[in-house]
Amino acid sequence: MSLVTATRREMSFCPGCSHSTILVELGAGLERAGLRPEQVCLVSDIGCIGTADRYFACHTFHGLHGRSVTYAEGIKRQRPDLTVVVLIGDGGCGIGTTHLVHAARRGVGLKVLVCNNFTFGMTGGQHSVTTPTGGITATTPAGSDVPPLDIAQLALVGGADYVARCSALDTDFPGYIDAVLRAPGFALLDIWELCVAYYAPSNKLTPPGLHELSRQLGLPMGTLRERVRPVEPRPPAPPRRKPAGGAAPVEPLPWSGRHEILVAGAAGERIRSAVGVFGEIAVAGGLFAAQTDDYPIFVRRGHSLSSLIVSERPVTYAGTGAPELLILQSADGLQRLGGLADLPTETLVVANDELDLPPTRARVCRVSLARAGKGIEKTTLALALLTFGIVRSGWLPDEVLARAADRVLTGKFREANLRAIRAGLGGAEWVTG
Amino acid sequence: MREFITGNQAIVRGALRAGCNYTAGYPITPASSILADLIQAFADGSGIAVQVEDEIAAIGQCIGAAMCGARPLTATSGPGLSLYSENIGLAQMIEAPLVIVDCQRMGPATGGATATGEGDVLFARYVTAGGYPLPVLAAADAASAYRLTYRAFQLAERFRTPVILLASKDISTTRQTVDLEAIELPPIVPRRAAEAADSFRPYAVASPEEVPAFAPIGGPVRVRVTGSIHDECGLLTNDPAKIARKLDHLPAKIEAQADEIEDVDADLDPQARVLLAAYGVPDGATRVATEELRARGVRVSRLTLYSLWPLPVRALKAAAAPAVEHVIVPELNIGLYVNEIRRVLPGREVHGVTRYDGKPIAPRELVARVEQRLASHR
Repeated sequence: MSLVTATRREMSFCPGCSHSTILVELGAGLERAGLRPEQVCLVSDIGCIGTADRYFACHTFHGLHGRSVTYAEGIKRQRPDLTVVVLIGDGGCGIGTTHLVHAARRGVGLKVLVCNNFTFGMTGGQHSVTTPTGGITATTPAGSDVPPLDIAQLALVGGADYVARCSALDTDFPGYIDAVLRAPGFALLDIWELCVAYYAPSNKLTPPGLHELSRQLGLPMGTLRERVRPVEPRPPAPPRRKPAGGAAPVEPLPWSGRHEILVAGAAGERIRSAVGVFGEIAVAGGLFAAQTDDYPIFVRRGHSLSSLIVSERPVTYAGTGAPELLILQSADGLQRLGGLADLPTETLVVANDELDLPPTRARVCRVSLARAGKGIEKTTLALALLTFGIVRSGWLPDEVLARAADRVLTGKFREANLRAIRAGLGGAEWVTG
Repeated sequence: MREFITGNQAIVRGALRAGCNYTAGYPITPASSILADLIQAFADGSGIAVQVEDEIAAIGQCIGAAMCGARPLTATSGPGLSLYSENIGLAQMIEAPLVIVDCQRMGPATGGATATGEGDVLFARYVTAGGYPLPVLAAADAASAYRLTYRAFQLAERFRTPVILLASKDISTTRQTVDLEAIELPPIVPRRAAEAADSFRPYAVASPEEVPAFAPIGGPVRVRVTGSIHDECGLLTNDPAKIARKLDHLPAKIEAQADEIEDVDADLDPQARVLLAAYGVPDGATRVATEELRARGVRVSRLTLYSLWPLPVRALKAAAAPAVEHVIVPELNIGLYVNEIRRVLPGREVHGVTRYDGKPIAPRELVARVEQRLASHR
């Protein structure tokens, strides 16, 4: 079965338009390559050439302007065995420039045929990104004063494996089609044409004139790159470990009621990790927890706040009010809180003793971070302080927390975190006021 | 077994459970971890995941893969949904099954990348030119995010349509306690497969609400896919009768199945004079407020809307009948969905409670609002 189902005459392009030549030669090239219709997907962009899909008997996909390369890449990635051909005009290369460059970079094996006639034919002869300097169009009546974009160069910059420029009106055109279809990786053919309705008559452009234009613009015809790069599919990684399936359950933690905790520090102090570690222990111990973080967009600068609600009942509302336990590790966190005047008298504040604390009615327990940090990794200081605060609040007995942590913690931070928790259990020694 | 995971992790787990095997995305807070986690999950070759140059390419690749038979998901936030817009229309026109996750943030524009907001509830419905409907689901917490991601795939397959799942920063990044294995999920019925035949008409339907049979690009049956207005063969048409057939079909297959898509949790008291109707993050506060009001002897009904579009008319009318005089609708936006509820429930006083400074609505605000309404109408 032939891949092209219409004769040149039956195609509805303007008389003399070389789009029909391209389609007929593409069909012939696919057949020379021995491809059956079901092995080919033709993805057509928008504009006159975008209507090409109806003349092909293979799989066809006609989408949005400039985006043809993106659909084609999705198709090719999902079905690498298919020959995926993109038919796109110079207009599509303008609106979809970014897709072309990056598809070339990623090197997925698309065959991109750029049907480049220097103008928007379907919408009335406006200039495109490839309109030559001086070219007269509906939107450059005095001649374009912007140099054209070299589509072939664009593909080269992106890293395409095969790039060539040719004229659809030359006798060697079928050879270029064969080369594009043969190329192993991302291949682009910049095919120059005459728009017989607009650009050619307005600019007195003829078939030989295309070669003259090529010389004038310094955009040579011919093969610009033909690289045979080994396209070896990367072997899949070994089967991944199951996504975090929750920690090993421990004996139920004797926790009563619902308590809110807030840890306030600076970016890089692993505030969120510390709170997460305790949340995991709580959940493994049969409790319910919710952790909400507050941090600025620059993740390594500024404050880092993390709230944790721990409850013996499901936490339906994860919003937080005044915490019952506030850990103040550093100035960035304190600054973000603004002040401590709103804290009720029941709140326990465990504060770095070097901080200049604003007035508060809450109970304040000042601790020396120099002492707290002894024998543990600096990145686990927040966890040590949090452990101390929890034990000091009387919510969990020391030995229960220690046992639960030992059962629950895993991963490469296990030992460091366990050391911090054990240090926190003896945190009474850090208290300075 | 209970786990302590974020909403985004729950979304990834729901997607994998549903057989998701393709994603393309562009990083954006607070959705980025979905892309990163799926890249990890698919590293063993069980799926394809790629970070691309922008959101347009992300959804474009997903649509291409969907038409080859993949089950794709692409995740973004409000600014990225804006860039998906045109391609969502394409997915509707070509009837591509596709799951889109919008982890909303405070808007408009760049807004607050790390602040919550749920202002995309109307945008999700009217996201593309033409006004054709698509299912929109709204997660309220990590557990519902898991279930609804799975359900989004179910609807996408069933109706061959893009489906939008709304989450938001406070759902995406908040770690919550969930037991995913305890959540019951019916098996996914894959899109109806076409029989191999040379005369395959990719868009043929027996009645407007029927979903056309699917043949993948690359299969033995040659497929014609086009975003231009087309006949049942996938060929461009200007025949008014054929155009009408296609454009009657697109809304019919969604609207006629509105009851099947509807997804709510109703906790109703037939004597209630007040109904609290919530979706998204305010649902948690609504549940707590409902408990508190009942503990004080106030009779209230609660309705959680997990599906926003098509508008769950049946559930809203049932929840408001017969005694309800006041409907309270808390929202983390300027008061958007409340107008839709007002439209469905004429004769009731429908009040919005709004907050859009990045902070949640607290249960006590809702309790106060209900008591104030009841006091003013004694």
